[in-house]
Amino acid sequence: MTTPPAICCALLLAAGVPGAFAATRPSPAPPVAPTPPCCPAEKGSGGSAPCCPAEAAPAAKTAAPCCADAGAGAPLSARSLYQLEAQWTDDAGRAVSLASLRGRPVVLAMIFASCEYACPVLIDDLKRLRTALPEPSRDQARVVLVSFDPARDTPEALAAFRVRLGLGATWTLLRGAESPVQELAMLLGVKFKQDARGQFAHSNLFTVLNAEGEVVHQHAGLLGDISPAAKVVASLLP
Amino acid sequence: MLTAALLGGALLARAEDLLPPATPGAGMVPIPVGDYAPLLRTKDEPARVPVAAFWLDARPVTNAEFLEFVRAHPRWRRSAVSPLFADAGYLADWAGDLELGPKAPAGSPVVRVSWFAARAFARAQGKRLPTTAEWERAAAAGISGPEGAAEPGFNATILAWLARPTPERFPAAGAGRPNHFGVRDLHGLVWEWVDDFNTAMVTGESRGDTGLERTLFCGAGAAGIRDTSDYPAFMRAGFRSSVRANYTVPNLGFRCALSP
Repeated sequence: MTTPPAICCALLLAAGVPGAFAATRPSPAPPVAPTPPCCPAEKGSGGSAPCCPAEAAPAAKTAAPCCADAGAGAPLSARSLYQLEAQWTDDAGRAVSLASLRGRPVVLAMIFASCEYACPVLIDDLKRLRTALPEPSRDQARVVLVSFDPARDTPEALAAFRVRLGLGATWTLLRGAESPVQELAMLLGVKFKQDARGQFAHSNLFTVLNAEGEVVHQHAGLLGDISPAAKVVASLLP
Repeated sequence: MLTAALLGGALLARAEDLLPPATPGAGMVPIPVGDYAPLLRTKDEPARVPVAAFWLDARPVTNAEFLEFVRAHPRWRRSAVSPLFADAGYLADWAGDLELGPKAPAGSPVVRVSWFAARAFARAQGKRLPTTAEWERAAAAGISGPEGAAEPGFNATILAWLARPTPERFPAAGAGRPNHFGVRDLHGLVWEWVDDFNTAMVTGESRGDTGLERTLFCGAGAAGIRDTSDYPAFMRAGFRSSVRANYTVPNLGFRCALSP
């Protein structure tokens, strides 16, 4: 990756100028601190079982309606990304809503299948993260890749991508319409821009969501130390 | 574009999406087909990017207009909005959920609105937010011609505004001088959201989380910059790259656009 020192400096200077600019936030919001899993599922009861059995339920301090049956239509917490109501399509052509991911931790990244460089590396990072998770519960964490290239990433293209990169059953590949893709990217803080050749410049960023779909951790950059992220995901596993 | 917004409208998709498109002309002015010179480009990209004809609000959206919107769409009221979609400063100048108060005159531009809220407002009118290219295309116009840079004092006037602190209360929207296209207050009143602000990737790159095209920023720092003297354009690019979609800012408002 090349770095553009002069450009950055100019713009950072701009951010320091008083007057109309003064109200600008200094930088994007910091990643949300990891929170403990709100409702560890009962051992052996499977990931989709109702969590927080009555006798174990602490007086819920957080506003999050964490102790309801996942998917039973309990209200989503105010910070849940699963408020996004869009329909997505997976690489098998099935309709998927983000809310259907509720109940288990999710590692979410945005990619495009014809990416020449960064996305395969990002996916390698996600594979390393998966490997760093404790075994038998590793597969309880879903890895979700959402394409920001709906024009080219048809279900077929994503299916081919799955094969090419050897992604197993715990990986979900989604495409959606332009508008929800943009909204999801905005919520995650993912920036992307298509260039004249059709390639995308984009953030290399993945996000850890808890069972409620709230952002609990973000990891920026490629080929970095994924152990902090792995620790967070592991803490969310049943 | 509008069709895409209507079909794809997901998150904010509600009954308001089913409204017919607004009639262009109601407070909107036509911007003829033209082009836009991006501040940053790769060496493979053309210096000027074509911009299709579109309609643009002649002035920024006002507090009164936004109040009407939140009345009709309770989920966008200050007390009800999700923190995902608007931060704690959302509409903070208003006296209450449905009360403007002394700091937010009815005719002044609404500020402290997030991108999500601005977009929802636009949808409710059957409109959308302008793209960066569209906004910059309209804002590049001077008073007497389509090329403001060719007019003496054009940049100096903008810079003078940028040097002034944000006022306690904004003057009325639409009081500025109309530009060549008849659009007012693109400069001199508030900053404005654009639909694709997250394509400005400069801050991300400096934090190292953005896989920018290897050719986009090569070698000499400002080599890819269109016009290094266009300081206001740098500032707008810096602003866009520094905000997130749920941010609300005391001098950031918006106006709507529409494809013909």
